Formats: sequence, C-alpha cells, structure tokens
Amino acid sequence: MSDAAMPKEQTLHDLYRDHRGWLEGWLRKRMGNRCDAADLSQDTFLRVLASSQRIAELQEPRAYLLTVGKRLLSNFYQRRSLEQAYLAALASMPEECAPSPEQRWLLLETLQALDELLDGLPRAVRRAFLWSQLEGLNYQQIAERLQVSERTIKRYMAQAYEHCLLVDL
Amino acid sequence: MNSQTSDARQAVRAAAQWLALLESGGANEQDRANLKRWRETCACHEQAWQKAQALRQRFADLPPALALSSLDRPDPSRRVVLKRALGAVALVPAAWLISRQLPLDVWRADLHTATGERKKVQLADRSSLQLNTASAVDVDVQARRVKLIAGELSLKVPGSSPLTIQTKFGNVIVSQSEVCVRQDARGCRVSVFNGAVQLQPLQGPALALRGGQQVSLKAAGAGAITPFDATAPGWREGVLMANNQPLGDFLRELGTYRPGVLRWEPELENLRVTGSFLLEDTDRVLALLAASLPLEVHARTRYWVTLLPRKNSV
Repeated sequence: MSDAAMPKEQTLHDLYRDHRGWLEGWLRKRMGNRCDAADLSQDTFLRVLASSQRIAELQEPRAYLLTVGKRLLSNFYQRRSLEQAYLAALASMPEECAPSPEQRWLLLETLQALDELLDGLPRAVRRAFLWSQLEGLNYQQIAERLQVSERTIKRYMAQAYEHCLLVDL
Repeated sequence: MNSQTSDARQAVRAAAQWLALLESGGANEQDRANLKRWRETCACHEQAWQKAQALRQRFADLPPALALSSLDRPDPSRRVVLKRALGAVALVPAAWLISRQLPLDVWRADLHTATGERKKVQLADRSSLQLNTASAVDVDVQARRVKLIAGELSLKVPGSSPLTIQTKFGNVIVSQSEVCVRQDARGCRVSVFNGAVQLQPLQGPALALRGGQQVSLKAAGAGAITPFDATAPGWREGVLMANNQPLGDFLRELGTYRPGVLRWEPELENLRVTGSFLLEDTDRVLALLAASLPLEVHARTRYWVTLLPRKNSV
C-alpha cells in the first residue's frame, strides 16, 4: 500500500540509481559505443516513466528494463539501417536530381515514420504495397513480379492498408 | 469507448477492402454505388476512407526512387543488425534465411535448441514459433504441421488458416491464437495464452481450450482443465517466475536451462522461492538464491555446482 502511494518519480529515481550503470553496460556491450548506449539507456528510463507499470511492484526490475531496452535497441537499428540505405541512395543520385540539404533531413524523418508504419508486414506484402504506391504498378504487374496471382495481390494490398490504418487507432 | 474502437477497426478494415477492390480494376458500377452508399452510412466510414486517402497521399508526395531504395532495402542488413542487437534470442536458422525468398508452402525444416538456448523464428504467414531450451521440432508448412519431438514450443498463429501441433499425446489445432506446448516422456501440457485452440487427445473426445486455460494430455487422454495466469512473464520473455515454490521444484526447472550438473542437499528441498529471474544468466540466479536463502553455492567448475545449507547461519 505504501509502495503504491509513493510518487512515481521517487521510485524511478531509485530504479535509475540502482540499475542505470548496469543497463548502460549491457547496451554498450551490444552497441560498442558509449554515447549511443547512454542515449538509449536514458530513453529506456523515460519509457518506463511513461508506462503504466508500477515501478515499486517490479520484482526483478532488470528483467523489465531489459525487455524495454531490447525493444528500443531493435528500433534503433531499424532506423539506422534505413538511414544507411537512404544515404547510399542519395549518394548514387545525380547531383541535379538530389533534394536540397534541408529537404534531405525532412525526407529522412518522413521515411522513418513510414518505415515504422510498415514494420511487421510480411516482406512480400510490404514490397507489393511499395511498388503500388511508389512505382504506380498495377496489380497485374505486381503479380507478375512476385509470381503470385492477382487475387493474392489484392489480398496483400488490403492487408497493408489495414495494417497502416490501424496503427493510429 | 471499447465498442467505438471496434467500430473504427471495422471501418478501417472495410475501407482497406474497398480500396484494394478499386485499385485491382475489378470494380463495376454496382461496386462503385455500393462504396458510395457505404461511405454515406456512417461518419466513421467516411473518416476511415479519408484516412486511407491521406495515407496514399503521404506516399504520393515522396520522390519514388529514393523512397523505394530506402523502404524496400535488402533484408539481410536489417536482419544482421537485429541479430547482433538481440543476441541469441533472435537467432534465425540458416535454412530459413534461404527459404525466405521462396513461397512459404515449399518450406520444411527441422529446428532444435541446445540446453540453455532459446530460438525464435518467424514464418512468412506471420505465424511465429519459439523453442525453449533443449527442444526439437519438425516443421512442414505445406502440410500445415508442426511436430513437437522434444521439449517445449510456443506458437502464435495470427491468421485463420490453422497450424496443427502434433505431439506424442495428441494434436493441438491453432488458428488466431497463441499457445505453449511442453512435452516429456509422460505427457504434455498445453497452455493457451490468447484465442482458443482445439485439442484431439489420443483417447477420448476432442475439446476446446480458451485463453488462460491449460490441460495435461497423457496416453490415457486429457486431464482436467485448470486456469493459469497467461499475463505472467515466462521463458518466452527470458524470465523464470516462482511464487512461493519449493526450492527443489524451482531448481529442477532451472537445471533444464543449465548445461552440466546441478545438485542440492535434501534439506534444501522445501525452502520457498519467490521472484522472477533472468534465464540468460543462470549463475546469477544461483547467486540471487544464495543472497536470499540460507544456502551456499559450491561450484567445482562452471558445469558442476552443488548447493549446501549455509554453515554459519546465526
């Protein structure tokens, strides 16, 4: 009872004091980089603060921190791999076609948001959707590329639309 | 509130279907009239439709070549970094990497884990399969079959096309549900986390099991259905939970995750353990036990550990 009455900031403070060093060490071992590890460990504690989990009731706080930290780490690597693909594509573009420096960063942010939106879709569904939206291919052309039936493409597209639209609900 | 969300979900699903039908080029006049009527039936339908249009616009505003090479980047780089990031938990067997490019229905694989190892694989139909320590399965997706040879698996099937888990003691039919099945020489235990599954025991009638229920299957048939806490973290999250559990039972369980010998003196058998422990470091679990219970850990080697009552307990 007294635990539940304790302000969340106080228990978070204890959690931070007791486990931040450990979590950062764990992240550093995986990321091989002190700054990124420190950032991500901060993010983890922020996530915990924002969640509905009662900190005082955590029996094994490190197990919980690790679960949250791993999820953030996976997002981090996903953003980074997108960034790399994006920069590589930019570099291979003729200078006169490339967006301006300001536009580049705005565009990267938009792409990251869309990448997250599409996350979790099976690879074939994702590709079908992107080809339709970005290349303007019709279902018959996509079906030929993926060597499946047009009916399957129709199902893929409905699945992709639904997946993206459900995210904000 | 809740029904509102479910209405919105349904509207979104319908909007997605309409859009796919229109884009497929297969829509006739009647379909268009029906769509018009659907949009006018309810404000939430029109809202979902507008949301879908806004989504298309977001993609239409992008420079196509640049967006395509970023969003449709080759998978291996993503997988490698993920694998490095998540360690052994997300290991993907090589056989699966190759077959990922192929249609799912030609996929067959034998998967197994060593003692202390856990493995998770994603099937291309969005189902996911997880293996606990010292487990083996034989997967044949064409036949929609997962055969549990030894140990424990968890299977989540989001779609409506069922996968059947075959065990020595009966079949478990899984669709739109999530289930854990653990098998040893004497029987197997089926626990449903989400949705509902159908069970076909070797003997006796088939039965249905819902989320939060578990049952034992033996050669003689199914036992009684009992409730369990489906929300508690478990091996799939890398956690071993104990709630006032006899130490002996806890150590027998912990021992399945440790290569080597783990022994303890009989007088420790009925001490009580409560807590949740990380499976990724079982040495640390033993150290935690020693810190909270009157016992000492004697390790001759990493693979030969004995627990003794603490001598100098006051």
